[in-house]
Amino acid sequence: MTRESTTKELKHKEKALKDLAELGRMIVEDIRKTQPPKLKIPSRSTSNIIYDKKNRYFVLGPRYGIRSAGSMKQVKKVAQLLCTADFARELIESGKFATLREMYYTAEGWEAGPFHDQSESDAIIEDLEATFGLKRESLGLTPEEDGAAVYGQIVFREGDVTIDATKAGRGGYTIPPTIDDVEFVKCRAKRIIAVETMGMYHRLIQEDAWKKFDALIVGLKGQAARATRRFLKRANEELGLPVYLNCDGDPFGYHIGMVIISGSANLAYINHELAVPDAKYIGVTASDIVNYKLPTDKLRELDIARLKQLLKDPRYNTEFWQYEIKKMLEIGRKAEQQAFAKYGLAYVVNEYLPAKLKEVEGQQFLGKV
Amino acid sequence: MKTLADELFAEFREHSVSEFFRRNAAMLGYTGKIRSLTTIVHEGVTNSIDACEEAGIMPKVNVTIKKINDDPEHLKVIIEDNASGIPEKFIPDVFGKMLAGTKLHRHQQSRGQQGLGVSGATMFGQITSGKSTTVTTSTGNGEIVQAEVMIDVDRNVGKILKSQKIKGNWRGTRVEIEAKEVAYMRSRYGPFNYLRMTAIANPHARITFVEPDGTLTIFDNATDKVPERPKPMPLHPWGIMSDDLLILAKHTKARSVAGLLSTELSRVSKQKADEVCKLANVPASKKPFELSWEEAERIVSAFKQVKLMAPPTSGLRPIGPKDLENGMRQILNPDFVYTITRPPKVYRGGLPFIVECGIAYGGNAGKSMEGKNEGGELGGEAGMDLIRFANRAPLVFDQGGCAITAAVRSIDWRRYGVDLENDPLTILVNVSSAYVPYTSAGKQSIADEPEIINETRTAIMEAARELRKFLYRRLKAKERQERAGIFERFLPVIARKAARLAGADEPDIKPLLKKIAGVDHD
Repeated sequence: MTRESTTKELKHKEKALKDLAELGRMIVEDIRKTQPPKLKIPSRSTSNIIYDKKNRYFVLGPRYGIRSAGSMKQVKKVAQLLCTADFARELIESGKFATLREMYYTAEGWEAGPFHDQSESDAIIEDLEATFGLKRESLGLTPEEDGAAVYGQIVFREGDVTIDATKAGRGGYTIPPTIDDVEFVKCRAKRIIAVETMGMYHRLIQEDAWKKFDALIVGLKGQAARATRRFLKRANEELGLPVYLNCDGDPFGYHIGMVIISGSANLAYINHELAVPDAKYIGVTASDIVNYKLPTDKLRELDIARLKQLLKDPRYNTEFWQYEIKKMLEIGRKAEQQAFAKYGLAYVVNEYLPAKLKEVEGQQFLGKV
Repeated sequence: MKTLADELFAEFREHSVSEFFRRNAAMLGYTGKIRSLTTIVHEGVTNSIDACEEAGIMPKVNVTIKKINDDPEHLKVIIEDNASGIPEKFIPDVFGKMLAGTKLHRHQQSRGQQGLGVSGATMFGQITSGKSTTVTTSTGNGEIVQAEVMIDVDRNVGKILKSQKIKGNWRGTRVEIEAKEVAYMRSRYGPFNYLRMTAIANPHARITFVEPDGTLTIFDNATDKVPERPKPMPLHPWGIMSDDLLILAKHTKARSVAGLLSTELSRVSKQKADEVCKLANVPASKKPFELSWEEAERIVSAFKQVKLMAPPTSGLRPIGPKDLENGMRQILNPDFVYTITRPPKVYRGGLPFIVECGIAYGGNAGKSMEGKNEGGELGGEAGMDLIRFANRAPLVFDQGGCAITAAVRSIDWRRYGVDLENDPLTILVNVSSAYVPYTSAGKQSIADEPEIINETRTAIMEAARELRKFLYRRLKAKERQERAGIFERFLPVIARKAARLAGADEPDIKPLLKKIAGVDHD
């Protein structure tokens, strides 16, 4: 089965250019009317971050901050924001990308620059993202780090290059920070299995899990990078692939999965581009620890405190999570994904995953009944 | 047979006043080479300006210091004025006798008081260089007297070694004193700074100064008005004490206590005197010499219950806020000056005094004489410079022990936005009184009388409040300027970038700049 890639890639840049032009037009108009230009920028303070129950991720609340060019304290920031916006326009028009750090250094030469440190220029970028609801990647700006790796039956196109993720070496295809410019040419996979550790990623590739489950295997490398999350989101939306998350059986594993599902609070302004609310957690649970008699470690104090926090977190306010968190507190133990190796290296692929997938999809895998 | 006492007392003799001061030159301010030189200049200039004012003449004083035999510690000080001159027969007493003078026994303000001044300088010259003092003087009668004066230390009298008369039309006095163990330096304590301070507090005086290297400095007068002559004045009841009253009672010509009060004290009318006697339960008709200590005490406290006019200030010659300001502007060229002359107050024995204060900020204010640049420009560290005066005469030494210093130190300057360590600030205080309570005969610091400290503090704080307003306004103006600068820098960037984003023509930013920052480019 193949799917045609959408034209979304072009659209997000067109929207960015249109938004930037509209920003410029409004300011030019204000100046012509002898009015100090004002920008309404959604507040990113903690008190304005709200859990959206309907969409199941964090969003920004209704509060705005006004940044006025008529204020002595703010005029510099407004000028910096416009310099950044114009820099983004140049990047988009020339089809280039710059890292946040590169932009920070570019600002040295700006009339409104320089920034005191990178956190200042990063904040301006976040202002732009929040104002337009556009990701920094759409503005031609990328984070430093690459995303994780993907292995399976999918073909990407980056400009003139076409890459088959099963022929990109044993490590698979590395998700670039510019994932939004990558075209999905062909995809024969039917689901995505994302795993927390690269150890498990390579285990699944060696055991041909991608073939056995018609799956794209994604190695998250711990807390998922923006690019990884963006890939999962796009694959979920554009290719209609369900996303399954397989993480360690401890509070940090739970949360690595949850950030992919419901987004993080500090990226609330952009979660609509990153969160995959329909992704399912199929990682190690407290029940698994008991049922599979997995080798365990004792919960540390930090784990216990974190679990108690999760109990109160709105994202975990479901029957499943409340039960599993309480259960883990009750047994006082945690276990890693790789603990299944107790039953042999292939056990996780041959026994555990089929069982988990049956739970979420209701169908049999690997001919097991 | 001689007793032991006889032997011991064989050496006993009365020391003359001159002998006493010869042995205690330090009391007169002759300690250290620089200070000794400044003291000589001080004594001469003080006498000159006092003499001019007594005669109602605009003072013109020329001071010259010369090296003798190219020895840096052997100098000649020449002080010349245009006052009324000295009649020949008074020359020995004026220059050669201690505690002689026209000022001591009057309640009248003058720079000199005890009559120690210029004769002390004569003596200092005499004991260090062995040379007599040359006095050239004329009362303007066509005859100029030139005399060589020395002091007979044993008998406390002035001796004229030789004198000559020449014909000539000139009026004034020129004194030449030669001294060793002195040194010239342009420091805070040297004659230059002394004369500069004198010029600030005496804006009617024109002072010229020639330094040993020949440099001529003119401290021009900032006003053409000669201050009015001070008048002697009686004590005022506010600060009087029982024994003052009893002393007056002993010497008065009045025949009743009421008469005593109304004739010997200032601001006491016949009615007030009767009122006070009644309040004190002392018969108004009682003979003054019969007044008892207790009655005197009751009268003193009764005076506190009646309303009186403030002490007369006819004997006091404050510089006045306008002249003080002129003087400070002329010499310091500051950005801000505020001056104040407080109403008269009394301390201790009913002696009136007036405190004046001036604060200058910016320009040459706050720059002491130390670290002078080449070419005579004032330089040195910034920071507060306190200049103290008593009856317009600079107090250069003993700053630490002075009531004025205590008053300055008692103020919390941060409240006025002032950083005493770094701000270019000159604080001037002049205490005018018929009898300034100096801490020593060197007359370099004022005793810490609580009334004087309080009054000085009040005066300085009033001026400091004005300084705070000035500093605040200046800060605001600076902020406005900075504000305009910020908008001028960033608004055009906003306009240019917005136009590029919109693909539009760059809008004219000038009207908005004018509206927001008040910047007008046309």
